[in-house]
Order: sequence, then C-alpha cells, then structure tokens
Amino acid sequence: MDLNTVIRQFIVENFLFGEDGHLSDEMSFLESGIIDSTGILELVSFLEEKFGIAVADEELVPENLDSISNVAAYLTRKIGSAGLPV
Amino acid sequence: MRLCTNCVLPETFPGIRFDDEGRCSFCQKYVGSESQERARERFREKFLKILEETETEGSYRALVAYSGGKDSTYTLMMLKEQFGLKVLAITLDHGFVSPMAVKNIRHVTAALDIDHMTIRPGETALRNVFAGSMSAGIYPMKALERASSICNSCMNLVKSFLLKTAIEMNVPLVVYGWSPGQAPLQSSVFKTNASMIRQMHKAMTQPIRNMVGDRLSGFLLEERHFEKGSEQGEDRFPYLVNPLAFSGYDEQRILEKVRKIGWVDPKDTDSNSTNCLLNSFANQVHLKQYGFHPYAFEIAGLVREGYMTREEGIKKLSTPSDVKVIEYVRKKLGFAAYT
Repeated sequence: MDLNTVIRQFIVENFLFGEDGHLSDEMSFLESGIIDSTGILELVSFLEEKFGIAVADEELVPENLDSISNVAAYLTRKIGSAGLPV
Repeated sequence: MRLCTNCVLPETFPGIRFDDEGRCSFCQKYVGSESQERARERFREKFLKILEETETEGSYRALVAYSGGKDSTYTLMMLKEQFGLKVLAITLDHGFVSPMAVKNIRHVTAALDIDHMTIRPGETALRNVFAGSMSAGIYPMKALERASSICNSCMNLVKSFLLKTAIEMNVPLVVYGWSPGQAPLQSSVFKTNASMIRQMHKAMTQPIRNMVGDRLSGFLLEERHFEKGSEQGEDRFPYLVNPLAFSGYDEQRILEKVRKIGWVDPKDTDSNSTNCLLNSFANQVHLKQYGFHPYAFEIAGLVREGYMTREEGIKKLSTPSDVKVIEYVRKKLGFAAYT
C-alpha cells in the first residue's frame, strides 16, 4: 500500500466518516474544513504511531501536513521510501 | 437508542461502528490507561521545559481563556499556585453568561489576585452570529463531533482573540481549561506558527465573517499578525496549552478545590456547563439537527479514560435542561418556538 493510500484511508475513516467523495490528493485539509486545529494534532499522532517518527513543533506547517500529497512528501523526506508500511 | 457498552456514544454518532460485544470503534482504538499515563507524563515534561525556556520578567507568562466555569477556574488556580505564573485571564462576555458565573469570575480573580480582562463585542453582532450558527452546514461535521455549532462560533472567536492578544502583548503561552474529553492529549502542548494558523484561521473565522461581515474583525487575527519581521509578526506565535489534559482529571476534586476559593455552583446552567446559559439551547438545537448530544464525545472520552463512570456519563447527557433558560435564550436570539 503506498503512502498516499495509507494517509487517505486515515483521513476518510477519521474525518470524512467513510465517504471520500471529492477528496483529491492536493486538497487543503484546513482550508476545506476537513480537519480543524485539533484534527491536525490527531493526524500528527497517527503519523507518529504508524511510522515511528517524532513530529517536531517546527514541522507543524501546512507544507508538511495540509494535504495527502504534502503529508506523503513529508513522510518520504522523513523516513525515506524504504520505510513504507505494508 | 443503542449506546456503546463501554462508553456513552450512541449509534447516531458520525462514523461509529460496533463490534460483537457492542463496543464502539472509538473504544476499540483506545490504547489503554497505562499508555495514556506515559503520554501525559511526556506532555507534562514538555510543558515544564517550555516554562524554563520562556521565562520572562515583567510581562505575562500566559493568557488564560477564562469562562468562569469550574475547569477554567481550576486551570487558573494551577497556573498560579502550582506553577507560579503571572497570568492574564480573559473572559468573553457573550451576553449569556450565568449571573452566578459573573460573580464567580469576580470572586476567583480577586481570591487568586489575578489580572483579568473582559471583552464584550457588540450585542447585535454576537446575537447574529449565534442565530446564524443554528443553520446546518456552517461547520464541518468533524468540528460538530465535539461541540455544537453555536459553541464552535464562540470558541473560534475566543481562540482568535487570544492568539491576537498574545502576539500583540508578546505573551508566550495561551492556556485553555479544556477537559481531556474536549481536547485530545496530543493537543495539550504545542507551538503555533504563522503558516499553520493562517490556514486554520480561514476555516475558523470565515463562517463568522459570512454572518456579520467585518463587524467582529477587531477581535480576530489580521494579516499583519502573520507577516514575517513585523513588530507583531510571525515569530510571536505562542504555545497553546491545555493543562487538564496532561494533569489527570477528577471532576469532584476540581469542584472541591474551586469551592474553597469562593466559587459557587450556578443553578441555571445545564448539566454540562458551569458558566453558560446559551449552552442549554445550543445543545437542544444540535441534538435535533444531528441526532446526538454535542457533549457525547467529551463525556465518552472521560468515561473511556476512567475519569467518570458510564452511569455518571449517561446521567450527564440525559439530564434535561431548564426549560425557562432555553426559552429565555430562544427569545433573546429572536427565534420562534424550537422544539
């Protein structure tokens, strides 16, 4: 399973209640209201547990966390493509 | 109505599923109290480290969102008595604060010798926001899991005002008294930054702007607060802290503590608030629109973590609100009968 799919699954299950309707890989979670401030920290918690990483406060920026593509790119930079979950 | 056999979430809660034993999907994902205790300790240590790093002389160490309810009162006590911080408590008077909560605010800030500021935006604009918040679809469903639409509007106004004030006064911490059920542990201590808050702020405040235009913009973050290098710019974004999330939560102990400094239980609020009259009406509207109680998620979290028994949780959610208070709010907001 690729990173985009893993992230999409989490977002759809936890924030869209199973209906992924119009969620594109580039859609901003925050601007579209899919995720609020508390939700971003739930996403961070998921990434830390699932991928064994620590997300530093200075990494809590939209460039890293505000869309499926941004999260996937951030994870790839952080853990490399070898760290993909199965 | 079917409820989770472990917590109190109903079958009408968004996205919920039950296993064969009737446990909800949120309880199935819960990692257990030992793991939570370790995580709480990590966040407490992070908070103590931040206190060392942000030590300043003269100015306030923290702004505290102070509703006058028991949780934010206890939070003020902790900051002052346990951590010795110089704080400024800030209250939004939205026109529906219980008279007893107003007295409590006065008694508590005097007893703790804490500086206090009340903001009171124009009544018409606020009423328009609260009345407008009753329309379905103002906020995404995720935001409505934890609070009613009216509560979301109110909290977003408070959050934006506190961030703006912290930046302008160069205060390093903004503190809330959310219970562990209202705010997840991972949100208990974190550093905000301009780019993230800029994105969040649009979603938080656009509904308010849609309802009253720029009428309340004096209370909200502005573009200048996000600008790099400006006197009130991006490097002044504060830490957000929810001490009750990492300190453990015992409602009875909190009540005993705050009563000792002169806090008195209001008799006119609903079973889930100790400061706000608007809450009874907001809960009724939410329940009717979405089919679940807006406090169900919070209470379920407290039950799951062992801070409250399931029976206590069910009682809190099923205790009827005072009809006279609901009617008072309804009329003040200018609505026809809402049943």
